[in-house]
Amino acid sequence: MSVTYIDAIREAQEKLLREDERVFLYGQDIANFGGAFKATKGLAEEFPNRVFDCPISEDAMIGLAVGAAIEGMRPIIEMQFADFSSIAFNQIVNQAATHYYRTGMPIPITVRLPSGGTPGSGPFHSQSMEGIYAQYPGLVVVTPATVSDAYHMLIDSVKMDDPVLYCEHKFLYRWLKSKSINGDHLPIGQARIARPGKHASVVTYSAMVHEAVRAADRLQADGWEIEVVDLRSVKPLDLDTVLASVARTGRLLAVGEAFPWGGVTAEVVARVTEEGFHLLDAPPQRLNARDTPVPYHPKLWAAHRPTPESICDALRKLLLF
Amino acid sequence: MPQLGESIAEATVIRLDIAVGDEVRADQEVIEVETNKAVMGVTTLCIGKVSEIRAVEGVSYSVGSLLGTLEVTQEEVERTGVDTLESLEAKNQSQPQDDGKGEEENLHFALDGDSYEEDPSIIPSVKGLPVPTGVMGAHYISPRMRARMNDMGLREADISAVVGTGAGGRVTVEDLERFLDYLEAWPSAPASPMRLAVADAMRRSWTRPLATVGLPVLLDRVLDHRRKQSPKPGLTLYLLRAFALALKEQPMTAGYLIGERVVHPRSFDIGVAVQVEDGVVVPTLRDVDHKSLSELVADYDDLVDRARRRRLTDQDSSGGIATVTNFGTFGLTFGTPIPLPNETLILGIGAGKKKPVWSEQTETFLPATEAEMMLTFDHRVVDGGGAGLLLKLVAALLQEPEGL
Repeated sequence: MSVTYIDAIREAQEKLLREDERVFLYGQDIANFGGAFKATKGLAEEFPNRVFDCPISEDAMIGLAVGAAIEGMRPIIEMQFADFSSIAFNQIVNQAATHYYRTGMPIPITVRLPSGGTPGSGPFHSQSMEGIYAQYPGLVVVTPATVSDAYHMLIDSVKMDDPVLYCEHKFLYRWLKSKSINGDHLPIGQARIARPGKHASVVTYSAMVHEAVRAADRLQADGWEIEVVDLRSVKPLDLDTVLASVARTGRLLAVGEAFPWGGVTAEVVARVTEEGFHLLDAPPQRLNARDTPVPYHPKLWAAHRPTPESICDALRKLLLF
Repeated sequence: MPQLGESIAEATVIRLDIAVGDEVRADQEVIEVETNKAVMGVTTLCIGKVSEIRAVEGVSYSVGSLLGTLEVTQEEVERTGVDTLESLEAKNQSQPQDDGKGEEENLHFALDGDSYEEDPSIIPSVKGLPVPTGVMGAHYISPRMRARMNDMGLREADISAVVGTGAGGRVTVEDLERFLDYLEAWPSAPASPMRLAVADAMRRSWTRPLATVGLPVLLDRVLDHRRKQSPKPGLTLYLLRAFALALKEQPMTAGYLIGERVVHPRSFDIGVAVQVEDGVVVPTLRDVDHKSLSELVADYDDLVDRARRRRLTDQDSSGGIATVTNFGTFGLTFGTPIPLPNETLILGIGAGKKKPVWSEQTETFLPATEAEMMLTFDHRVVDGGGAGLLLKLVAALLQEPEGL
C-alpha cells in the first residue's frame, strides 16, 4: 500500500477538518464532484457543511476566505489551476497580504495552487506562479516536492497565521508515491539536502527536485557528485542551507520550472552572489523554462521545461568553468 | 585512443604506421601519438586486418575516441575481450540504472527520444575531469579561491608553485591546501616584517615590463678625486650625483606612467639602496641636482648610518624619483636590480676590476679600473635608446668628477 502525493494532500485536509473546527474547504466543484483532481474526494460527505462549491469567480473565492479569516476561520481554498489565481490576484496581494500590516489582524488562509506542467496541458493549465507571489511581503509560498512534505506542509500552512500559497505540483499528484508518510518533518522555512554531493549544488524545489536528482544520478557515472537542495518553501527562503551547500561545492545551479525572467532562481542566485561571493568557484547559473508561454505539444513542452538532460548539460558547463 | 597516463585527456596523432588492408599482430605499435608529456605508441589490442582508419595525422583525439577498426575473428574477440562496434554501440546506449533504493519513486516522463540533444562539445570524453592540455596552474582565480588566499594572506605569486587539478587546469582550494600540507613537513619560520616589506614592494614592481641595459664605466678619475677629499664621499654618492645630473638633462626617462598620463619629476631626489638585516631600505637624498658632492656628504652619511641602524622615518624614504644601488660592495660585478614599485628607474653598479685598457695616446694597454653599470627601467616609459643615452651621460659625468 503506498501513498501518492495527492493522497497526502487529501489526507492532510481530512485531518485538518477533523481536528480543527475553524477549517473549511472552498473551491470550484470540490464538494460532491471531489475537485478537478479529486483532492477533496469524499470530504463533503464526511464533513457536511464544511466543504463548499463556489461560483466560478476566483476573485469571490479569496474575498470570501479573507472575510472568513477575519471572523476567525481557517479556510483552505482550492484553485482549480494555479493559472486561474491571476483572477484573484487583487484579493491575494492587496487584501490578504497587506491585512495584518494594515490592521494588526492576521489572515490565516491557505490557497492551494495546482501548479506546474504536465504533458499536453498547454498555456493555461501549466504555469508556476510561486515567483510572483513570493515577491509580495506578507505572503508565505511553499512548494512541496515529496509526499511527506505535501502532507505536513499543508497542515503547517493551515496552522500558520499568515496567508499561505501552497503550490502543489500536478505532475507529482499520481506519479509520486511513498510507502508511508514520515512522522518527522522539517518546519516551513527550512530547506533540506535531497542528495548530498561535493562538486556542485543544484538548488531547486517542487517537481524539479526529482529532475535534478535524476541528473545527479547520471553525472555520478562520470565521477561528479552533485548536491541537490530542496528549498521546500521558496518564501521564506532558507539561505543558510543554500550557502552551506555552496560552501561545500563552490558551484551553484538554481533550477525552476517557472519562466526565466526574475523569479525564485534569480532570487537564489542574487542572494548567494551578495552573501556568498567568496564561496563561488564559478559564476552561479540558472535554468528555467523557456521565455514563451507553456506549449501544448508534449515534445515541445519537454523542450520548454528543464529536464534531466538540460540540467546535466547546464551542470557540465558549470563544472567545467 | 587509449588512456595514456593519468591526467592525459587527449593526444595528437603524429604518424600512422598502417594502411587499410594491413594484417596486424597483437600489441603491434601502429600509431605514434604525442601528449603534453611524451611521444608514445598506440598498440593493437588483438590480431586482425585493418578495415578502416579514422585517425588523421596532426589531429588531436580525446581518450576513448575511435581511431580505426580491425576485422577480427570471433575467437580473437572472445580470447581478448576487445570491444566490437556493436558492443560499443550498446555501451553508449545504456543509461545508469536507478538503484531503486529511494523510498519515493518517480515514474514520469516516458518521453523516449526527446528532441533535446546535448551539446557534444561539453560531453566529457573520459571519466573524471576532461581537462584540455597545456593550461595547468594558476590563471583565473575564482572568488572562492581568492577569499581563501586572503584568509591565509597569500598572493598570486604564492600559488605559482601549485599545479592545478580543477576545471581547465585551474588551481582549486583543495590543490592549495594539499600543497600547504606538503610544505608542513619542511622547516619554516615566520618571515620578518622587513622581509615582507621587501617582498611586497618587489611583487608590486614585478607587475611591470622591466628591462635592464648595461655599460662599463672607468672609475680611475673618480677614485683619484675621492682620495683628495675630506671627508671622503662614497663611490655610491658620486654615482648618485651623476645620476641626478643626467636625469635633470633627460627628465622624461624618470617619468612615472599612471593610466594614460606620465608624471614628471618634481625635484631630483634620489634613493640609495642600503642593505640591512634581512632586507633592503631606500632612504632618499634630497635635491641631489642642486648640491655639490661636498655639500651632500654629510646628509648622505647620516642617512646611510641611520638606515643601517634602522632609524629611518617614513619621511626619509619617500618622494624619490629613482634609486641607486651599489651591489659592487658585495663583490658582485653584474646584476639586474628591480626598481621600487613607484619608480621607473634603478641604476646599479658592480665591483671595479683592474683591467688592461687600450690607450690611443701611448698606444699601449694601461691598467684601469672598470665597473659595469646596469640600468633597469619600466619599458612602458623608457626604451633601450633612452636608457642607453642616460647611462652614457652618467658614464661621461663620472669622467669629470671635479664637476660633481
